[in-house]
Amino acid sequence: MNAVKTSKLVKEFNGLVAVNGIDLEIKKGELFSLLGPNGAGKTTTINMLCCLLKPTSGTASILGHDIIKNPFKVKDLIGVSPQDTILSKHLNCWENLSLMGEIHRLESKELKKKSEELLETMGLTERARDQVSKFSGGMRRRLSIAMALVHDPEVVFLDEPTLGLDPQARRAVWEYIAELKGKKTILLTTHYMEEADCLSDRIGIIDEGKIVALGTSEELKRNHLDSQSLIISAENFGTKVIENLRGKYSVVEKINGGLKISHKDLDFKEVIDYLYSQGVNIYSAASEQPTLENVFIQITGKRLRD
Amino acid sequence: MRIWGISKRNLKEIYRDPVLVAFLLGMPIAFMLVFCAAFGGQHVNPTSISIADEDQSLTSSAFIDCIENVPAFKLNEIYTEESQARNDIENGKIPFYLLIPAGFEEANQAQKPISLELAYKKADPMIGQLVKPMVEAATLMFLGISPPINIDLKGTEVEIKNETINFLIPGVIVFGLMVLIFTAASRIAADREDGFLARMLTTPARPWDFILGYSLPLILVLIVSTLIYLGIGITMGLSIIGNIGLAFLIFFLTGLCSIGIGMIVGTLVKSESQSAISWVIIVPLSMISGALMSADGMPTGLKNFANALPFMHAVDASRNVISGCATFSTVLPDLYYLIGWTVVLFTAGIILFRRRMAS
Ligand SMILES: Nc1ncnc2c1ncn2[C@@H]1O[C@H](COP(=O)(O)OP(=O)(O)OP(=O)(O)O)[C@@H](O)[C@H]1O
Ligand SMILES: [Mg+2]
Repeated sequence: MNAVKTSKLVKEFNGLVAVNGIDLEIKKGELFSLLGPNGAGKTTTINMLCCLLKPTSGTASILGHDIIKNPFKVKDLIGVSPQDTILSKHLNCWENLSLMGEIHRLESKELKKKSEELLETMGLTERARDQVSKFSGGMRRRLSIAMALVHDPEVVFLDEPTLGLDPQARRAVWEYIAELKGKKTILLTTHYMEEADCLSDRIGIIDEGKIVALGTSEELKRNHLDSQSLIISAENFGTKVIENLRGKYSVVEKINGGLKISHKDLDFKEVIDYLYSQGVNIYSAASEQPTLENVFIQITGKRLRD
Repeated sequence: MRIWGISKRNLKEIYRDPVLVAFLLGMPIAFMLVFCAAFGGQHVNPTSISIADEDQSLTSSAFIDCIENVPAFKLNEIYTEESQARNDIENGKIPFYLLIPAGFEEANQAQKPISLELAYKKADPMIGQLVKPMVEAATLMFLGISPPINIDLKGTEVEIKNETINFLIPGVIVFGLMVLIFTAASRIAADREDGFLARMLTTPARPWDFILGYSLPLILVLIVSTLIYLGIGITMGLSIIGNIGLAFLIFFLTGLCSIGIGMIVGTLVKSESQSAISWVIIVPLSMISGALMSADGMPTGLKNFANALPFMHAVDASRNVISGCATFSTVLPDLYYLIGWTVVLFTAGIILFRRRMAS
């Protein structure tokens, strides 16, 4: 049984199609990242999966429970960290976490243990008794994530969890998520490609309401990047050399202290040999690792979304 | 318990917000003080009446004596000519006068119909409305026909220190409790606006958990403010003759109806500012329920309408109980009305909330 399964999920807002027929299957214990430009439909998809929005058509199920027919069963199983930081402002950390725990009928001992653990992870232990209205944005964010996890849900939806966190906090959250891997099913959205790359089992790229690419990070890089790049640190090359290179390869850029050359099935040896033959002093040469960001831009284009 | 968890949260959100606390406690206090200061004094200062006596007879002066003895009147000027009195009205020296026309004594002795005139400034017609029944009563008394007295009230007349206060305060309290419609609606609407409610809707809490979770803390507010109202009322001279517990029960049920309406409004509106629509319910409803003025003169249709709603019952029942004209069994129908409405409103609130949950 899949932890999350959607079939032809569609959501329209007065004619605007936000989600346009998404079919997804996420296995139990899998960490799945949903990437996509602004307005692609990530949040809308999550909102349907956590029973906040009714799909216009199609349906989905969480651990076999239909989101339309059996919403309360679904809500029992999930934990949601919404894109916007949402807390009860006049409550302190403990009280916010207790609220979620009590609604999920957690035993008080269990609740205390889990709260302590999460506050420690999120670095909030010292401020645990302060009203959250006095917190900084990042501190609120961390508590908001903790509130999604305190009841130990089977399936976790994290909508841009690390938005607005400092590098330390982001790493702490990553570590915590990495620990959950295999134990919980996690659906994560993010605009940090690095985050998706290092955490996910699989990645789906969504654009204009449709899944446009799906696979592991490696698969995406392999299947969607049609050129390799070589970065050469070198000296003593003239305009003629560059012109010759440009005639042969699709991208040749002069960068600080060297060159960057990209081409489909680039033959590194050929490039180096040519440069040697032209008397260029080469200090180092390295193939540039393809990044998820390259793939993302390749697939979704450079145009800004409205 | 989910309801308990949500209630605790909502209560903390109320009492840790100083502005909200100031509103919730300050409003009843301010209300009572303002209303009593504005209207409660009428009884203490008798209306001062001027008389133009053109009859100049024994009978007319006896009539003037009689008026002087009416506690609600204080004799001001006595004119022998009407023209002087009219002059004084125009100069703003007196607000109105009573004209005893020539031939008053004759008509009285001949048992003929007597006509008196009450002259007042056109710009202030309320004075005429106010004084006319008092003059009528005094005239009937003088002419030997006893004015109709409400038998029920007889025993209490002595005990009630200030009838105006006893009439006004129960109505003001009902009005104050109707403001809970707004308070309740704005609580839910605020949570909807900042997304908190949406977050809660991803949890397994049920519609009734929300409706009751929002209501319980407001019930505490209701109890506290009713006590404040009654406390200030007594300080202002309210005489509680009947059973105070029964009066409290009536106010409590009134507050429950208000909270119920507020839950419905809060479920339907989208933002905290939209919850101001509650006033469109509160103000007209309080008027037709006779909370701030007597609703006796309303057209029958409107009266029947008001009678079908809970608040007129609340006003009448609480007035009668406080002034000692009603007991538990006499207000029982009113109590049934209030309880029935409470049940209907809360059920409707839960059904509506459930509908709006899946949008
Ligand atoms: N409640 C709503 N009413 C109308 N349109 C909406 C609503 N919610 C979302 N949309 C529209 O649906 C589209 C998808 O929005 P969504 O929030 O799912 O994007 P997203 O992928 O989460 O983007 P981001 O990365 O900016 O968070 C957008 O065009 C948005 O304007
Ligand atoms: Mg989003």
